[in-house]
Amino acid sequence: MENLLFGHFVHLDLVGALQVVAIGFIGGTLSGFIGSGGAFFMTPGMMNLGVPGVVAVGSNIAHKFGKAMMGSRRHREYGNVDRRLSVFMVTTSFAGIQLAVWINSALFKGAGGEHGTGGSGASNLYISMVFILILSVVAISMLRDALRRDGGDGTPSMRIANFLSRLYLPPYIYFTVADVKVSLWIVLVAGLATGYLAGTIGVGGFIGVPAMIYLFGVATPVAAGSELYLAQFMGAWGAINYAYQGMVDLRLTMLLYLGSLLGIFIGAYGVKVVREVMIRLVTAIVILLCVVSRAIAVPMYLRQLGWIGMNPDWDKYFNQASKAMLFAAGISGIVVILYNVIKAYRQRRQVQTTLVRLRVEGEAA
Amino acid sequence: MQVICVSRGTLGRGKELAEVAAKKLDFACLSREELVEAAIKEGIQVGKLEMAMLKPQAFSERLALEREHYQAFCTAYLCDRAVSGDLVYHGRTGHLLLPGVSHVLRVRVVSDQEHRIRAVMNQMGIERNKARSYIEEVDEDRKRWAKSMYGVSLDEVINYDFIVNLEQMSLENAASALVGVAQLPDFQMTPASKKAVLNLQLGARVRLALARDERTCGATFKVRADAGTVTVSYLPQDSSVAEFIPEVLQPVVGVGEVRITMAMTNILWIQQEFQPHSETYDKVVEIARKWNAAVELMRLAPEEQSPSLQQRGVTGSTRAVASVDSREYDGGIEDDTADAADDIGGLKPTLDELAMVGRSGGGRAVYGDHHQLIELLDRRVPYTLVVIGNVFLAKGHAAKLRATRDLRSFLSDRIKAPVVTADELGSQFLFGKRDITRTVVFAVLVLAMYWLVFTHQEPILGFLAHSGWYAEAVEGTFLARFSWLPKVIVSAAVFFVIPVVAYTYGSVTSAMLKLMKME
Repeated sequence: MENLLFGHFVHLDLVGALQVVAIGFIGGTLSGFIGSGGAFFMTPGMMNLGVPGVVAVGSNIAHKFGKAMMGSRRHREYGNVDRRLSVFMVTTSFAGIQLAVWINSALFKGAGGEHGTGGSGASNLYISMVFILILSVVAISMLRDALRRDGGDGTPSMRIANFLSRLYLPPYIYFTVADVKVSLWIVLVAGLATGYLAGTIGVGGFIGVPAMIYLFGVATPVAAGSELYLAQFMGAWGAINYAYQGMVDLRLTMLLYLGSLLGIFIGAYGVKVVREVMIRLVTAIVILLCVVSRAIAVPMYLRQLGWIGMNPDWDKYFNQASKAMLFAAGISGIVVILYNVIKAYRQRRQVQTTLVRLRVEGEAA
Repeated sequence: MQVICVSRGTLGRGKELAEVAAKKLDFACLSREELVEAAIKEGIQVGKLEMAMLKPQAFSERLALEREHYQAFCTAYLCDRAVSGDLVYHGRTGHLLLPGVSHVLRVRVVSDQEHRIRAVMNQMGIERNKARSYIEEVDEDRKRWAKSMYGVSLDEVINYDFIVNLEQMSLENAASALVGVAQLPDFQMTPASKKAVLNLQLGARVRLALARDERTCGATFKVRADAGTVTVSYLPQDSSVAEFIPEVLQPVVGVGEVRITMAMTNILWIQQEFQPHSETYDKVVEIARKWNAAVELMRLAPEEQSPSLQQRGVTGSTRAVASVDSREYDGGIEDDTADAADDIGGLKPTLDELAMVGRSGGGRAVYGDHHQLIELLDRRVPYTLVVIGNVFLAKGHAAKLRATRDLRSFLSDRIKAPVVTADELGSQFLFGKRDITRTVVFAVLVLAMYWLVFTHQEPILGFLAHSGWYAEAVEGTFLARFSWLPKVIVSAAVFFVIPVVAYTYGSVTSAMLKLMKME
């Protein structure tokens, strides 16, 4: 079978397939809970299973395409999608994705593109470093905002938005649904960054949503809905491009769907029953643990590139440790969400029973 | 107790007009500045709230609570003043403070730009261009405030009864015109409209009491009051405070029965005649249970049935709203006519049944058409679903269908939630026979797709990698002449297959969760 995997696809047995489904479920639940993302867990999760980073990203972005298509339909019904804003962002996001695909594929193919080789190592290292850098910033900002509530007023930092609002960068465009007026240049740059990150690590939403909220001044539900609407086009474009490079593993995409589409519903329910500060805290901690998990795998890629001397047998220990950390992060996040979901159900039952009893007693009296 | 609410812009002479009109009518005059001062004394951080309103992205949970507190305070303060005597209020969103009260005259004052620019130049000592930018910025901030605070646009003319343009009119003449309008029978208080004020007052007092008590101040509540019956909805994450609610509300004057509902969201059900245990009722309750939602009833009846109109003895009134309950209310009002009219709609027994199952979100009656309905709706309430039941009963079948369709499209444009008719409830939100067939077909399709992919991994991976059998098959055909063409075919295949998998499997998952009532 090994020679049938064409150098960059992995062998999938039942255990491996179930692990991918579990990754999809955890990623989907976290995605429903956070309102965006999920790929921050799925991409490294697949890499820990031995999937080359570029294939993990390609398969994940294909997964994102279908998932966003399903999700944005519901958001549209609720009037949370500013199509005009998404269309403006989509133009440059395509360029960002194209750039990301080009860099990823060039690094992978540049040195042979085989498992455990320099090419795979270079691509994996590049993806991991971008992942660590971006998600550290996101997680630390979230954590700071969540813990700041006693000292400040509990609101996210507005320094960037205030700074940008002082700049005069015409032309300005008015987006009717979002009810904001934003400089075209800021929209285009945000689209480029979102596309680049979606194409590099599959986590465009972590830039797109905060950009819409912090830079454009869009209300949170509209930001989430518009980003999801945008994500379906970015996902489609990313899937087309990675498929063109032969880097989409349809099996992985389909297995991810098995878990994620179920998990999203549970995560979305969790949002309704968990306090906002707790959501931010849980999300930040899970992302930070995912970052640590990715950092543990870095020495392995450095060795593959020949940049450090290390016994190749140690790779499996680094990989196992990284995988264990990732699953610990995902599972602990899931436990918090499920605990709150079940608790809310139980409390609801108790409250309803009390109401009925009081009513009956009142009538009897 | 007559109330005139004047909505004014920056240096638009609204304040002066309100003061002159109040003097002519011998009414008390209250400004927004006095209201804000009282709110600050209450301990509300109005300045912080204003900053957050202008930047909606910065709205935290804590500030959302502060906003609820502020709104309740303003409503209670204004109602207290309105109940004790005639009043002219002037502020940036005066017209939105007492929604659904027919004797409130809502006035918008606009002034010519030139006058405003000159006023700013004189007052602030700045040059013309800066004065113009200042006015534009402040107007923009006011619009944001109205949008954030009440969910409506300041420019929506439907929200005003009378718009005064001071460009060609002197202040004195404008005030005389305003006095004339205020004396029209349409804006005189009726028992029903007085009751509406008292309901608003009681609801606001209840919300204030919850905000003032340290046990309940950290939770989000939605309060509806109807003639002494108070419905309090709270979110599941605030369930630990639910036990304190009756105790906190004990000392609030006017509170009779307290109905407490835990709800994550709200369903709005609009109908002309309500009947508990009807087919639509059962469906709505089933959906409400699934979604953990409170059901808010809105009785939409023809204007001719309005108690206010009958009592005034006039026709052509544009606003007619009444509260709902038929219970006797000892808040100083005896209103048999309105009560009798409320009973006709079946609101009371339906609300009682909803309370029994812990789903009551309160209810009201509105007499008129789409515009009266939207005016009465609290745009800040996050509805998940709007259900239009049997309305326009007096019309013929075709006309009824057309009017219902119009109402649906009108509401869809204004409410951020799906708007459906009662007939569509079953097919869209409940698991019916059609869903079973659809789910079975989709499940078979999903199984077939997964079986195909996982039993044919080798050819599929070869195709995706542009290698193996695919590369061999391409060789020697016209496709080989263009190296990019076989890759484009792979891209196209991925582009078409992925949405099909997502849609079919997503539909199966969604149907299964619908069946398990876990949607």
